[in-house]
Amino acid sequence: MDFINSHLLSLILFTPTVAAAVVMLLPGAQPKLLRWVALLASLVPLALSLVAWMRFDMFAGGFQFEELAGWYTSIGSNYHLGVDGLSLPMVLLTTLLTPLCILAAFSIQERVRVFLALFLLLETGMLGVFLSLDLLLFFVFWEVGLVPMYFLINQWGSKNRDYASLKFLIYTMGGSLGLLLAIQMLRMVVGTFDLPVLYERWPTLDQSLFGLPIGTVKTIAFWAFTIAFAIKVPVWPFHTWLPDAHTEAPTAGSMILAGVLLKLGAYGFLRLVLPLYPAQAQAFAWVLALLAVAAIVFGAFAAWGQTDFKRLVAYSSVNHMGFVVLGIAAAAWARGTASAADAVIAMNGAVLQMFNHGLSAAGMFFLVGVLYERTHTRELDDYGGLFPLAPIYGGILIFTSMGSLGLPGLGGFVSEFLVVRGSWPIFPVFTAIAMLGLLLTGAYVLKAIQKVLHGPVNARWKETALEIAPREVVAIAPLMVLMLVIGLWPAWLLNVINAAVSRLFG
Amino acid sequence: MPLEPLLWLIPLPPLVAFFVILLFTRSHRRLSHTLAIGLLAVSWLLAMIVFAGAVRTGGLAEHPIQSSIPWFPTGSTVFSIGTLIDPLGAVTLFFVAWTLLAIFVYSVGYHNFGQPRGEHDTPGLPPHGARSMDASGHGHSVPSVEPLYSRFFAFISLFAFGMLLLVVSDNLLTLFVGWEIMGLCSYLLIGFWYGKDSAKRAAVKAFLTTRVGDVFMLLGLATLYAQTGTLSYRTLFSHEVLARLVETPSYIPGLSMAALAGLLLFMGTVGKSAQWPLHVWLPDAMEGPTPVSALIHAATMVSAGVYLIVRCFPLLTAGLVHGSSFTLSLIAFIGAFSAMFAATIALAQNDIKRVLAYSTISQLGYMVAAVGIGAYVAAAFHLLTHAFFKALLFLGSGSVIHGVEHGVFHTGDHQVDAQDMFNMGGLRRRMPITFATFLIGGLALSGFPLITAGFWSKDEILADAFGHGHLVVFITLALSALLTAFYTARQITLTFLGEPRSEAARHAHESVWTMTAPLVLLSVFAIAAGWVGIPEHFPGLGGVVPNWFHEFVGSTLGEAPEAVAFSAVPLLTSIGVALTGLGLGWLVYRRVPAGAPDPLARALGPVHTLLKNKYYFDELYDVILVRPLRWFGETFVYQWMDRGLIDGILHGIGRLAGALGSFFRRAIDLPIINGFGDLVGESTKRAGRSLRVLQTGRVQQYLLIGLVNVVVVGALLFYLSALRP
Amino acid sequence: MVPLSWYLIVAAALFCLGLYGVLARRNSVAILMGIELMLNAVNLNLVAFWRYLEPARMSGQVFAVMVFAVAAAEAAVGLALIISLYRLKRTVVADEADLLRG
Repeated sequence: MDFINSHLLSLILFTPTVAAAVVMLLPGAQPKLLRWVALLASLVPLALSLVAWMRFDMFAGGFQFEELAGWYTSIGSNYHLGVDGLSLPMVLLTTLLTPLCILAAFSIQERVRVFLALFLLLETGMLGVFLSLDLLLFFVFWEVGLVPMYFLINQWGSKNRDYASLKFLIYTMGGSLGLLLAIQMLRMVVGTFDLPVLYERWPTLDQSLFGLPIGTVKTIAFWAFTIAFAIKVPVWPFHTWLPDAHTEAPTAGSMILAGVLLKLGAYGFLRLVLPLYPAQAQAFAWVLALLAVAAIVFGAFAAWGQTDFKRLVAYSSVNHMGFVVLGIAAAAWARGTASAADAVIAMNGAVLQMFNHGLSAAGMFFLVGVLYERTHTRELDDYGGLFPLAPIYGGILIFTSMGSLGLPGLGGFVSEFLVVRGSWPIFPVFTAIAMLGLLLTGAYVLKAIQKVLHGPVNARWKETALEIAPREVVAIAPLMVLMLVIGLWPAWLLNVINAAVSRLFG
Repeated sequence: MPLEPLLWLIPLPPLVAFFVILLFTRSHRRLSHTLAIGLLAVSWLLAMIVFAGAVRTGGLAEHPIQSSIPWFPTGSTVFSIGTLIDPLGAVTLFFVAWTLLAIFVYSVGYHNFGQPRGEHDTPGLPPHGARSMDASGHGHSVPSVEPLYSRFFAFISLFAFGMLLLVVSDNLLTLFVGWEIMGLCSYLLIGFWYGKDSAKRAAVKAFLTTRVGDVFMLLGLATLYAQTGTLSYRTLFSHEVLARLVETPSYIPGLSMAALAGLLLFMGTVGKSAQWPLHVWLPDAMEGPTPVSALIHAATMVSAGVYLIVRCFPLLTAGLVHGSSFTLSLIAFIGAFSAMFAATIALAQNDIKRVLAYSTISQLGYMVAAVGIGAYVAAAFHLLTHAFFKALLFLGSGSVIHGVEHGVFHTGDHQVDAQDMFNMGGLRRRMPITFATFLIGGLALSGFPLITAGFWSKDEILADAFGHGHLVVFITLALSALLTAFYTARQITLTFLGEPRSEAARHAHESVWTMTAPLVLLSVFAIAAGWVGIPEHFPGLGGVVPNWFHEFVGSTLGEAPEAVAFSAVPLLTSIGVALTGLGLGWLVYRRVPAGAPDPLARALGPVHTLLKNKYYFDELYDVILVRPLRWFGETFVYQWMDRGLIDGILHGIGRLAGALGSFFRRAIDLPIINGFGDLVGESTKRAGRSLRVLQTGRVQQYLLIGLVNVVVVGALLFYLSALRP
Repeated sequence: MVPLSWYLIVAAALFCLGLYGVLARRNSVAILMGIELMLNAVNLNLVAFWRYLEPARMSGQVFAVMVFAVAAAEAAVGLALIISLYRLKRTVVADEADLLRG
């Protein structure tokens, strides 16, 4: 018990790795066994993060469940883990989505062992980003997550997977290049990779570096960080890898990509950019807000213009993540000014939106996958009138779509309202334009429902068994329940987020 | 018994019904409707208890029934939600509960409960009818039960939840939650027969058009919340808060925060209450089953828009300079314009439900205009009476359609459109209850003097407009009242009077009791609801019954607005236009034979075509909004910008990197590095090739070579050692 | 006593006999036998040198014994090879086994 208590985060972090190793050792000819082992193993981190959630004290400041051990001591990097109210919801989201994705991946038939092992490794990578309090460790996990995802798209993807996986990999790598350089520079100047130390010393550092004024150096480093995270979020115009990667990835891959991987970028803003570069973030907040609004509006327009169901959902992610970035930008601008209260609300909305989008986007991709497995087409025009053929599926699709659309009573509304509420007094023009995106959200969601479910029954599918299977209902039910719970009673989640956000940005 | 906890309970039973029906009782029709109606009856009972309690509470306006709980934290403060019933809420709750109950019961009959399943019926399409054998072995065509019967009750239960939530909430955010849930339900219900292309389109149109308004409204909420830190009515509409809002300039120069928020909220009303220019969704929404039309258009959803601006009246009037403000003038203009505009379109419609749809827009325009001229009590009064008589009319029209459809089944001629009034006529004999109740509803709508509820509420609006000197509004509204009476008379005459114009109408049949009972109930209200608001100074009747409504609802804002001084002009006007319109309508349409064109078409010529096509607004929006936006999304953003520009740049970078790489390969790698490496390899290979002849594979030859070598080397060594000194 | 050189001459003659057999015979078995002759010629040398030059030390005898052992092993392996060659090519003629020709 003691061990669990003192190494809770490490256990959460590395259980998936161990499970991946175990899966690799099992006989590959028994996919059933492999699936169940992977599923049960992925429930362990979930249980542990629930324990962490229960024990988390939202009123205590700073990081909790911290673990510190020497790692690359010679270059000043430590194995330093810890969570606060910003990362804990993300950890919970990750550990929740992984078992559901594995359950969704039960339908994968080829090379099951490798698939599951890669998936569990991916979980470690993502959790590591949320948990690490050391810049180098952060970067390592940031890159670790990339590799399994590349192979998931490249090996189990659909037709255009080579192009998509390469685009995904190169794009993200390109972004992290600058990030790595900037991290090295911080280490050189301050002498440590440790985040809590950097928080204190780097923003207040005041000396010229490399013969340049400190402001210039910081601005350059700020953009290096920002671009890396902006690509991951993704913010317009760095978003074009996303529709390709999402569309080509296998269902479980798209779920985790939309559900968690995109959040890594936004989390980078929260954890690194805003605390390390408060002045620069404030100065360039309007740029970020502008790009966010572009993502919201153009993302919605592009989603509306799609004929491919999965690509439509992929673009909806651009649209929704735009609200996250808008909230972050508003908070960056207003922090420490008279409208700091608005900043807190915008930031609350942004973090909650990250969580909610994780639920709804994963659900949407899952539902697209369910349909694709049965019909082997993603073209909206090939569907039509499927509602009578698959009434339960139809009901679930409408529910999840409404969650994605931000219907009041479901989670998405609370977060979108908070973002709008927070950024409206700060960036009135941008917010007003973003409303156009909100309107179009309705347009593309309804377009999808209409093309898939409504209208005269398409005779092509009359003989196909389209109805969703019980296993699949089990996979999506937790997402639906959570959407409803957050919509009706957001306080359980917002209390934690709000406490952390108030301390950091109040 | 304390009423506060009951308030929280009012919206919940229908929500329970929604989930239970959807999850468990989908296949049991009787159980489903019993659940839906039973649980709604619980809500209704609670609502009546609360209403009775509210009416008996003295000083309800100052001490409304309210309670609240924290919902979520925002920084150092907490956002609370709660319930509240003040006079306005109590009255709204009253009519909402009654109409909902009537509509629920009506739905049982409307969806042919108890009839057999049709062999060709599919979910998502209206039932086509079934063949049944009677005792003597004759086959009959009879209506068949709706395939998605249970689901319908689930949806309307959710709808009821949304509306009740909206009424009992004490703040704008939960009002918005209910508002949007109704939006979703209207989408689901208009598209209930989703197999029909037209229904599918109408559903999307309704949702998106109202969402235009909703998006503005959301911004309005954000404005108010950002400026005041709260959304609850009591705090928001207190004098200090309003004063601060009026003094704060907004982002738009010349507009105070109060005015901006008011305008934004009003946009929500325009969308939800289908006012011009966002009126286009409402007539199309007639694609839904008739009880849905009644739900959406009469009693609940569209009323929510008017309820909102009546609620926010203090905000709209805040900062009133010399009795007028931009916001209020705009509201009055849009209301009056919609009233007139929709009434003209209603003249030229042949579909019995579409006439009512446009009439709804027109009547809502009345209420909006009333708010715009400051007569919010009159607006609330008309809201109340309109809810009853319009629900009555819609349900009556459903009953008529049902009756004619019965005739269609009987004759077997499925070409006859059961909704076209020119296929009806003479139904008064076949459907006496429907006729009587429809007549009451129609007279109430046209404001038939003294006995109908519509007269009293409409008269009050006209009196207010006249009394406060808004002459333009007064004339517009009076004219549209004339048109209203005219098209109502046209509708009643074409439908019920004269002789049947089709076989189907000749064989129409009175509807079942579950449909007629709600009609009778509503017709009682369509008459009696007016008696609670007879002006004190009305000649003869004034004072016989106290003007309870004015005092009760008028007290909502704390200071009762003084009643307008009595004037004979508006009274005579309203009596005059009602009677003239009705008389004219009857005269024109009393003898239209089967197959004859609309007499009005001859008289009006091209104007009639314009009206029939609704001033071509659908086509206009399609050309100036829908198509350009779609082009922008599909072609500009996706094809040109994302695929062309951004991906083009990326691919360009990719190709550049590729070109650079192949340059290095061709110029350096291949000739220099590879060349050197290949040289080494090649020369080795060549040497090997020339030496291979030595490798004969014969052991003895090798040995011989070895021997020769030994001898030679030995000799050499010997020679060398011999040379050494 | 017979001088050392006589032994050496006999050994040299034996060696040449063996060498001739190895180089000139076509039968693999005969080649093997030639090799045996050569080994024995060497043994003769070793023993002779030991007896005449270093009778106190054992190394000459030990060498001879080692050569016997190697010769026996060589004969066994060689014969086995010849048998498998015969199985493969139905011949024991050395010239015909030229699989390794370049």
